[in-house]
Amino acid sequence: MKEENFDPVIVGFFCNWCTSAAADLAGTARLHYPPNIRPIRVMCSSTVDPVYLIRALQEGADATILGGCHPGDCHYITGNYKARRRVAIVKTVLKSLGFDDTRVLLEWISGSEGPKFARVMNEYTAYIRERGPSDFKYLDSLGGEEIE
Amino acid sequence: MSENELLKKFLKDAFEKGLIEAVMAPAATQDSYTYALITKKEDVDKLTPIAPVMQWNGADMLRRITKLKKAERRMLAILRPCETRTFKELVKFNQINPENIIVLTYDCPGTIHARNYKYDKVPVEELIEEIKKGGKSDKIRDSCKVCEYPAPIPGVGDIALGLVNAKEPVFFSLSDIGKEFLAAMGIQEGSRNADEWIKMHRERREKWLEEERITGGRKGIEEFLSSCLNCHNCKDMCPICFCKECFFEDHSVFDYESSKYFNWADDKDGIRLPTDKTLFHIGRLIHMGTSCIGCGLCQQACPMDIPLYRLFGIVGNDLQKVFDYKPGVNDDIPPVMDFREDELHEFEGLLGGEE
Repeated sequence: MKEENFDPVIVGFFCNWCTSAAADLAGTARLHYPPNIRPIRVMCSSTVDPVYLIRALQEGADATILGGCHPGDCHYITGNYKARRRVAIVKTVLKSLGFDDTRVLLEWISGSEGPKFARVMNEYTAYIRERGPSDFKYLDSLGGEEIE
Repeated sequence: MSENELLKKFLKDAFEKGLIEAVMAPAATQDSYTYALITKKEDVDKLTPIAPVMQWNGADMLRRITKLKKAERRMLAILRPCETRTFKELVKFNQINPENIIVLTYDCPGTIHARNYKYDKVPVEELIEEIKKGGKSDKIRDSCKVCEYPAPIPGVGDIALGLVNAKEPVFFSLSDIGKEFLAAMGIQEGSRNADEWIKMHRERREKWLEEERITGGRKGIEEFLSSCLNCHNCKDMCPICFCKECFFEDHSVFDYESSKYFNWADDKDGIRLPTDKTLFHIGRLIHMGTSCIGCGLCQQACPMDIPLYRLFGIVGNDLQKVFDYKPGVNDDIPPVMDFREDELHEFEGLLGGEE
């Protein structure tokens, strides 16, 4: 069910050292990116327990982004490799149960990639807007979207 | 001589020869079987080494015994193949100290659901009779019917007792320790052919993986878990859920002010209480799914008879495929403890890391 003026809510967990810095850079360079993104700064992409991603999706986010440093560039040496395994687990579980696994996005955006940050956020928001509301939203409640 | 008598004689001999100082094996109770630890030869007769019921996972008991310190006495544990794999997996997670523990396993005749056994006591001899002929009883639990590794695996455990297609039970070793042990016992190692029997299980498993999958996203999972009591028994019985502090229990993440509940009820057009029931199951899947052994105790523990093994077994199987990992069958490091620098690019970015 696609709503007429569907405005997605996207929660982003951005690593302090790279993706958050890129968000800053995009801001100072006056690059436009959609206000649908709700950024949360975390110290490392690996501090995000996969359950937090699922939790965000359940509590009303239509999609989540986990942003970290490029492989090999992690401030804590190996954090982003672990985050990648965790995202792989979340995506596989979602897909296995018949949910849309593109609602979780893993992106490597370094501190100098302000333009890439703006581009990814624009593209992903457009993509989610196209796909419509998530059927994971409001799981375990009486309401929520009825999605075929 | 029945298999249980044979094993008891084996244990008594081992005690006499001074090879072991303690044994952990199932022992009968009024309506079921529990694990028992004995340290004297005279107590061997109280045991039933091959029980028709698996109420607890034996590896979980060994975890409790060696929680603080390694086993002080040389002990022999009689475990099913699934428990043996759990043992191996928990050793990898540093939850069991394998020192001084010898594991004896056998061709598993399967186990009956503990609750069914309480009302209809099927003797274990009946189950063993079936596998001697190369088949399997249909009274056993669902997870036993689709077991992937019903027979002992070389390198997992120490000593094995072969029953399938064998006129007389045969002992054989799975490790060097087991080899020395059998030699010291003066037992000739034998062999038996269980390939066909294992293949039968695998074929059943393939069919099960295809047919019993829970699909349909939100509707599917909500319907599947609709009678869940949120009692967390599945977590308590799961041998892989060994964390002292569980994310879903006694955790302030799930303590909210009342205004939060009312706001949710506003936003979501009504919420179900207790909250986060489905989140618990999906969260647990994410945390332990890569190491799911497939013992099916989650399903046995469910007071509402939800076929939980369909959830954990099948999604766990998918997860293990992604990491090309089979829990408990070899020395590979569990996926959640390890990483590679160049892997899993299909999970990066929107289109699978095409940038």
